[in-house]
Amino acid sequence: MGQIHRPESSGGRNRAPRKPKKSQLPIALLVTILVVGFGFYLNQYNDKMVVYLLFGLSFGVILQRSRFCFTASLRDPCITGSTSVTRAVLIACSLATIGFTAIKYSAFAGGNPIPGMDNVGQISFALVIGAVLFGIGMVIAGGCASGTLMRVGEGFTMQMLSLVFFVIGSLWGAHDMGWWRTNVIKESPSVFLPDVFGWLGALLVQFLIILLLYMAAVKWQEKKMGSAE
Amino acid sequence: MAEFTLDCLGEACPVPLMKTEKKMADLKVGDVLVVSIDHSCAMKNVPEWARKQGHNVEIEEIADGEWEVVIEKTK
Repeated sequence: MGQIHRPESSGGRNRAPRKPKKSQLPIALLVTILVVGFGFYLNQYNDKMVVYLLFGLSFGVILQRSRFCFTASLRDPCITGSTSVTRAVLIACSLATIGFTAIKYSAFAGGNPIPGMDNVGQISFALVIGAVLFGIGMVIAGGCASGTLMRVGEGFTMQMLSLVFFVIGSLWGAHDMGWWRTNVIKESPSVFLPDVFGWLGALLVQFLIILLLYMAAVKWQEKKMGSAE
Repeated sequence: MAEFTLDCLGEACPVPLMKTEKKMADLKVGDVLVVSIDHSCAMKNVPEWARKQGHNVEIEEIADGEWEVVIEKTK
């Protein structure tokens, strides 16, 4: 007792023999060449497509390497009390806030239409119900949208099944969204914070909310796990 | 100083963590639990949980995308 059990010394009896690892370098080189080739192919049609490809790939790599998971950020506080991923998401939200504000404000200040205003959705009970359903679904499926895509790439078989139904669900949702917009949530207000508080006020309100959530996350973990580390 | 194994191959996150939590409660101090996982998310939260509980943890990648988390119960 007391001494650390090295896996080398304890293993062997009932552990499967280790498979020798194959070098993945040839595959990596091949994929890199294919991606570059695909970039040139896309460039024929549209200048911006390569930029989208680059952003998509970077997003995927960062997501995979950092084990970033939006599902875990909301699930782990309930299961283990750990809020480290929750705080990572809050920091990501505040960084995104700065970026979005820069893009939207520069368009607004230049007198151009503000991009992305279609995505300012109505707030209604349908949203609350939908959010709860999405939450239940992502915990059962083992990942939200980005998490599912990332793990399909890693070769996790179960989530390939998730992906199929995720596509079906998304298509169904997109198909019926117009009906919901015109019939059910027509009267619901859609709030764009800069309209209510002004641009600086909106930033302050947003950061205040994120800061309060961050402080709550720290307190939650201290209470549940005894340390905020 | 018994050694136990827990096969969580093919199980998506949070299942490996919850199974580990339950199994660890049955173990005596000094016992070792070897959890096999292949879900990258569990690779993060199982060791993180065990370390925060104060156990000794070692991670071994036994194949590409397949890990063994070795946890020694310390309390």
